[in-house]
Amino acid sequence: MRRSGSSPLINFKPFVESLIAILVGFIIGAIVLIAFGYNPLEAYYWLFIGALGSTRGIASTLKYATPIMLTALTFAIGTRTGIFNIGAEGSFYFGAIASVIFTNLWGNMWFGLLMGMLLGALWALPAAILKVYRGVHEVISTIMLNWIAWFFVLWLIVGPYANPNDPNKTIRIPEAARLPVIGYGLSIAIIIAVIAAILTYFLLWHTTMGFGMRASGINQKAARYGGMNPKMAIMWSFIIGGLLSGLGGAMKVMGEGPTYAISQGGANIYGFGFDGIGVSLVGRNHPLGIILSALFFGMMRAGTALMQVNAHVPLEIIKVIQGIIVITVAIPGLYDLLVRAFRGGVAQ
Amino acid sequence: MMERVPIVEMKGIVKVYPDGTKALKGVDLVVYQGEILGLLGENGAGKTTLMKILFGMLQPTAGKIFVKGKEVRFKSPSDAIAHGIGMVHQHFTLVEVFDALHNIILGMEGHGLLSKIDVERARRKIERLMEELNFRVPLDVPVEELPVGVQQRVEILKMLYRDVEVLILDEPTAVLTPIEVRELFRVLRQLKARGKTIIFISHKLNEVMEITDRVTVIRKGKVVGTVRTSEATPQLLARMMVGRDVVLRIEKPPKEPGKPILRVEKLRVIGDRGEVAVKDLSFEVRAGEIFGIAGVEGNGQTELIEAISGLRKVEGGKVYLNEKDITGKGPKELYDMGMAHIPEDRTHMGLILDMTVTENSILGLHWRPKFQRFKGVINWARAREHAQHLIEQFDISAPGTEAPVKSLSGGNQQKLIVAREVSKEPVFIIAAQPTRGVDVASTEYIRNYLVKLRNEDKAVLLVSADLDEVVQLSDRMGVMYEGEFMGVVKPEEVTTEEIGMMMGGIRYEEIRK
Amino acid sequence: MNPGDIITILIMSLMAMVPIVLTSVGAAWSERAGVVSIGYEGVLLMSAFFGAIFAELARNALVGLIGGIIVGLLLGMLHGVLTVYLKGDHVIPGIGINLLAMGVVPFGILAYWGTAGQHQLPHDAIMWHWRTPYGEISPMIIVTVVIAVVTWWVLFKTPLGLRVRACGENPEAADALGINVEKYRFWSTVYGHALAGLGGAYMSVDWLGLVHKTMSGGRGFIALANMVFSGWNPLISLIGGWLFGFFEALATWLAPKHIIPGQFILMLPYIMTLIIVAGIIGKARPPKWDGKPYKRE
Repeated sequence: MRRSGSSPLINFKPFVESLIAILVGFIIGAIVLIAFGYNPLEAYYWLFIGALGSTRGIASTLKYATPIMLTALTFAIGTRTGIFNIGAEGSFYFGAIASVIFTNLWGNMWFGLLMGMLLGALWALPAAILKVYRGVHEVISTIMLNWIAWFFVLWLIVGPYANPNDPNKTIRIPEAARLPVIGYGLSIAIIIAVIAAILTYFLLWHTTMGFGMRASGINQKAARYGGMNPKMAIMWSFIIGGLLSGLGGAMKVMGEGPTYAISQGGANIYGFGFDGIGVSLVGRNHPLGIILSALFFGMMRAGTALMQVNAHVPLEIIKVIQGIIVITVAIPGLYDLLVRAFRGGVAQ
Repeated sequence: MMERVPIVEMKGIVKVYPDGTKALKGVDLVVYQGEILGLLGENGAGKTTLMKILFGMLQPTAGKIFVKGKEVRFKSPSDAIAHGIGMVHQHFTLVEVFDALHNIILGMEGHGLLSKIDVERARRKIERLMEELNFRVPLDVPVEELPVGVQQRVEILKMLYRDVEVLILDEPTAVLTPIEVRELFRVLRQLKARGKTIIFISHKLNEVMEITDRVTVIRKGKVVGTVRTSEATPQLLARMMVGRDVVLRIEKPPKEPGKPILRVEKLRVIGDRGEVAVKDLSFEVRAGEIFGIAGVEGNGQTELIEAISGLRKVEGGKVYLNEKDITGKGPKELYDMGMAHIPEDRTHMGLILDMTVTENSILGLHWRPKFQRFKGVINWARAREHAQHLIEQFDISAPGTEAPVKSLSGGNQQKLIVAREVSKEPVFIIAAQPTRGVDVASTEYIRNYLVKLRNEDKAVLLVSADLDEVVQLSDRMGVMYEGEFMGVVKPEEVTTEEIGMMMGGIRYEEIRK
Repeated sequence: MNPGDIITILIMSLMAMVPIVLTSVGAAWSERAGVVSIGYEGVLLMSAFFGAIFAELARNALVGLIGGIIVGLLLGMLHGVLTVYLKGDHVIPGIGINLLAMGVVPFGILAYWGTAGQHQLPHDAIMWHWRTPYGEISPMIIVTVVIAVVTWWVLFKTPLGLRVRACGENPEAADALGINVEKYRFWSTVYGHALAGLGGAYMSVDWLGLVHKTMSGGRGFIALANMVFSGWNPLISLIGGWLFGFFEALATWLAPKHIIPGQFILMLPYIMTLIIVAGIIGKARPPKWDGKPYKRE
């Protein structure tokens, strides 16, 4: 790919910082494992083999990477425009339920994806409007909207769209509207997600609109001076973020068998928005970094299958590691801090 | 006359900022008990820096401070307060949602941290203080609901509540209405009568003449001299404040200006604090002319430029560019109509520091077909060529087109802005503080370039706090004071002394009388 | 609905109120000092888990509550160092803490007790309750009310509170008057998280008597909603917290009755909060420097 006009594809410092954070995560994870009497080397070995040791593992990695890649993009596009959009979760629910509702009206895959995106974007709008016109902080409004969305969708699951034959789940996506499967339960959703990431990158770094969004995100005053419209940039950031998460929600339901439905209590659509924030942070809020980061998170999730069976380690250890990684990434100027500490150590 | 005891003495104060700027170059200052000392100087002369050092907000690079003959070293403002020195800043440090009473007692509420604040006792103490000083503020209203003048009195009370003996006031009248100024002066006289010492920082000649006992004039980080106010005249002070040798020579051939390009009619603009910052101002800038605006900063220049360039709402009046009404149009439209703007705030407005040279080089013209691959998609290859071209044309030293702009020096950043704005091929260009904080070589380059633009029949509106710059470059100049022109003159027809008086708020007609 | 049902719902709502109010009060204090955190969800979950371990080891629920406070304290210190001293972003660490909790707790339950996702506490590790025909009442309800009232009193009536609020409203002004902004902000953050820690431990060793891997159930976020809803005022958040608890209890009580879907009742507090922050009814204004790092010039 060609170099952008703005930044090298992979920025050295943040890339190294993410690697350090990942290392720290695994080291602390190992300490926890040892403390509870597990063998970390064995655990990590099976984690790796489970994720990449077989075609099935790789397929599983890609499957797990898909939804979080899209929700991470939502967060990233927000950050790049200077907002803290944590509303991916709500848009994801709406995308998921929209796919169930609308594919059952017209069993067309593209129609389902489109409606998922539209409802995802629709759910992002209130936060955008409140931010731009009333100055409401988006962290507060999106938290509220996430919960409203959650209860609303929960009601749809057990109420109007409950499956009469299996009342704990919703009705299923009609076969005609399901995403084509590549193999081992992996659908084309991953391809669509990667394309979405590349398009997001293209939007932010190669279009006039994206230039305006990034400029507003860094310095609204300068953006206004430069003839841009920071208010519209924020609006678009929410809307596009909603489209992406809505797409993620729709594909989660339309692309994953055998159920092709939202399961009891919304269990299979919960938490991807929040996980996406971590993915985005580790991917340094860069769409291409997010592809790598989502694959990494996907690997960890996929690898747990063999880790649980062969090393008998509970799969939740990966959340521990991920949490540590995100907290480590949150240390400001991590790279410089380490360089200074290292130099200081050498000097003495 | 009572014996003159110096209450504060500053000796050989030097302040060098981390970026190498020498703000103070060995300043000596003596303040006597019970006097009002004026500290007079232009922007950037070092008045505020000197006082921030005295108040413990900044540490001097070298020099000594004595309070009542004893050497002191202040690590923070609370140290200074403990030694009886208080300061009221130009921008108040009040907790807006607290009422005056709680703002005043904050930090010295009395008793233990976890005991109930004795509001009544504090109230009695403040009431007594107000009675003694013969001025009042409402104590129970959130200070954000009080007028600016009253907020300022709360700040003064806050310091007096801490028993300060020396009160520093930084440009205290800058935010006040004339009536409030009168009230402030009454308060200051009361304080003086109670034996308090006041340091009054200002650039306004009339005020300094009216309220102070002595005046120390500072210019470019050095003390020019100290005079008794009773022995001074505005002329003398103006000369001390601005009279200096011209540093740079600019070649400027005589030229007949053409038709008016920018016409401003009775423009009225409201400032951030809701005050009328520009008061029904009218002027025009003609083709082949540099129209300069001189004046101490904060007299409405910023608001004027922002209104003309579409960044601030116009409250009343009209702006015409090439006889087309442009009032209320946004920057994008204005740039397309041939306006360019070198903004005064280089780091916060003119450039996006975290972006690259390339990105900054097309900011504000990135939508032009030249930089579009097809509509909506930016042609970065072209943009890079453009950046490279600007770098070469203006001799900007940059690590490369893809380096972040923050890695450039101040002078080169400014050259990049000038280069970009010129590349818009404007008919009218605003140059606000075009050489502030810029090295000598770049300054000369930029000034010569502005003259070149004028020679090419462009209209240039130059706004600068640097008097030399305005005098040297302008064909005509207006001296701005509190949102109005004190006079519009040809620089060669007035003396610097006269300009200094206009900057201090005296109208040209009055001077010539 | 008969009078007995009403009393039952009231008791349920009071029991449900405790973790929400404690966290809201803590968050309000922390934000009044200028430090935002969205990690309370994780704090609740982790302190519920570790509180239970403490209680079991000591065979004493009180030790469990103290354990919860300690967990909150430590997480508050972590957040405080990152935000106050290293001047980092205020939201990101919370995301990490929440993620961490979602791993540590299920992992810990399995690794420590060997059960998947849930663990029932033995009787001697659960707080004494006053048993009434309409439900059990915990003494922690009174403790919570006392904490909310005292926190409110300290925040609005004492020098300490005045200084804390000054740090959140205008740290520059506070700094100029000799108030150590970083110190006040740091310990405010620690206090905020410690209260959430107490709330978390209450859930396991007192209210429910069990540990479950998702037992925080969004209460950390509910508490933030309540904090905003209550205008960053600990006393009002007592009422707001009870209201949130009431809606929770009402939805639980209504669930088997199919009159109104419980989800719509659970939604109400969030909608109301949204309306309030939008300034349509009243005006909730956060402290001016909330969430902004303060660096001296």
